[in-house]
Amino acid sequence: MNIWNDGKIASEGYASGPAFIVQRDERPACTDKIREEEIEEEILRFDQAVETGVEQLRKLLEETQSLPVGQAGNADIFAGHLEILTDCTLYEEVTGRIRRDLENVQMALQLSADHFAAAFEAMDDAYMRERADDVRDVERRLMLILQGVEETAFHTLRETSVVVAADLTPSDTVRMNMDLVAGIITEKGGVTGHVGIIARNSGIPSLVCVGPILSKIRNREQVLLDAERGSIITSPDRETQEKFCRNAAAYRDLCKKAKENADLPCITVDGRKLSVCANAGSPEEAEQAAAYSVDGIGLFRSEFLYMRQRRFPTEEEQFEAYRSAVRSMGGREVTIRTLDIGGDKGLDYFQLPKEENPFLGCRAIRICLKRPDIFKTQLRAILRASAFGRVRIMFPMIAWVEELEKALEILNVCKKELREEGKLFDEGVETGIMIETPAAVILAQELASRVDFFSIGTNDLTQYMLAADRGNPEVAPLYNPFHPAVLRSIHHVIRAGHERHIPVGMCGELAGNIEAARLLLGLGLDEFSMSAPSTPRIKQELRAANYGEAVGAAAEALKSPYTILG
Amino acid sequence: MVSATIEVRNKSGLHMRPASELSRIARQCRSNIIIRSGEKLVNPKSILVLMSAAIKKGTVVTVECSGETEEQDLETILHAIASGLGEGVDETA
Repeated sequence: MNIWNDGKIASEGYASGPAFIVQRDERPACTDKIREEEIEEEILRFDQAVETGVEQLRKLLEETQSLPVGQAGNADIFAGHLEILTDCTLYEEVTGRIRRDLENVQMALQLSADHFAAAFEAMDDAYMRERADDVRDVERRLMLILQGVEETAFHTLRETSVVVAADLTPSDTVRMNMDLVAGIITEKGGVTGHVGIIARNSGIPSLVCVGPILSKIRNREQVLLDAERGSIITSPDRETQEKFCRNAAAYRDLCKKAKENADLPCITVDGRKLSVCANAGSPEEAEQAAAYSVDGIGLFRSEFLYMRQRRFPTEEEQFEAYRSAVRSMGGREVTIRTLDIGGDKGLDYFQLPKEENPFLGCRAIRICLKRPDIFKTQLRAILRASAFGRVRIMFPMIAWVEELEKALEILNVCKKELREEGKLFDEGVETGIMIETPAAVILAQELASRVDFFSIGTNDLTQYMLAADRGNPEVAPLYNPFHPAVLRSIHHVIRAGHERHIPVGMCGELAGNIEAARLLLGLGLDEFSMSAPSTPRIKQELRAANYGEAVGAAAEALKSPYTILG
Repeated sequence: MVSATIEVRNKSGLHMRPASELSRIARQCRSNIIIRSGEKLVNPKSILVLMSAAIKKGTVVTVECSGETEEQDLETILHAIASGLGEGVDETA
């Protein structure tokens, strides 16, 4: 039995079945130069490869057109690929490199594709940048033909299976019989990539970005895919299999119930109303969250905008992304956290100084205050998006009152600029901070008088409070958010917030932990924010709870010097 | 050579689908065709070149055709762009 817990949930649910391994035998392009008398022969090879490619794509196009509407979008992709494949400029580029530079056909193809893909990747428009993938898909198709490698034999997929691949292209997914795909696991890819979109559209549970796994799973080995918690188990023992089946059944029931109750407000049996929100890492995730009838986005991570590309995103690009998230939530609140890089999150194009202890180093608000140019671009974009709904701005990693004051000052400068430029924004936009340093916990009262809300980031708060690195397996048992010091900190922060009449939320993993829900309710938490798929369960739990009883139980729990749970 | 100017009014500019449509139509024409968009000279018979030019909605372009069938080909290209290249045009533009 093997277990992986590293993937990202692209489409939630449970799947089990034999593994269907997608092997890809593409080799690197041959680098040998050719002789002059071989030029015509090499060009003929390219002509023939294009001809074969055209046949393949025509067939794909026909197959796609007979598919259900959900996947019909692929027809456009293949029609475009067909155009690229037969493109006269591509032909000139490839044959030119063969004639002029005596490159062999594989190398000529690779260099030409690099050339066009680079042109697309350099564009401002996100849609156009993604077209580089289409060039790559066409290149891969031709390369496989030139190398005489068969396309993956998807026709051998004959029984319901869990598909495991390094990554899947649109050409792959259209050739799989989706009725036989129970789940999808990919080593690479992101939640918002092609696989994620197809999986969600088809309702197929999927984990992506799992890391190296192909070499560790045998074809047809039994796989359990838990895309609710994010784990993969191979060759399970009986006990694990039974537990999996129970979880899967509970999940199915829950989905059914949650669907029935989706629009009900989250109110405890004794009438305390709570806000249950989703965390989102991109406009696409915000859109998905909206489908769960959440009360808003409690944490909108802005890092994706910075990590997706090779340079800092412009104000317009950010504005578009924020506005899109704000719009998909209708009038519900969207809390946008300002840039939180550093720690374990770097940017290729922004060299952070090498640090001994990056989590104690220059990260998040510390970088933003050092580079007000980067910070202002983001704040202006967020402010402009606030004209389209209810936006809240949240600063991460605050440890000093001075940091907060400085950040607010820069925000005011941005507001002033926008007013002068006649650009619209919500004058009442709320500002708040994440409470994730012990310093912020202790200064909670002073901080509360300067902001409109708090959000407790339990992941970092736990590691800073307990001095235990959350990524270090050696100290994993010491990293526990149920430690009494963490719980008392949470209680202290909530009380400080309520004394100043500001709401206190939580956006760490703990907020989505079913075991913690009643305890947090009893501590007085106002807003729970977690990954959207966890919201139905937490809502269910909170609706069934009694606030008065929870307060009593929490007060009891706080007295203990020992860890009560976890 | 004959030429004329026209505004691209596709909702999304010349993205994959409309560019694909335009290059297909252009390739059926025997003339040499050039689309001028600002400084850029674009061969509409190549979808890669056409998409790389990133022509957005609202851009005014000049279409130039030269060859025996230039009159007819210019007409064909202008008509294709005006009709929105299979996407429809944004009337509010």
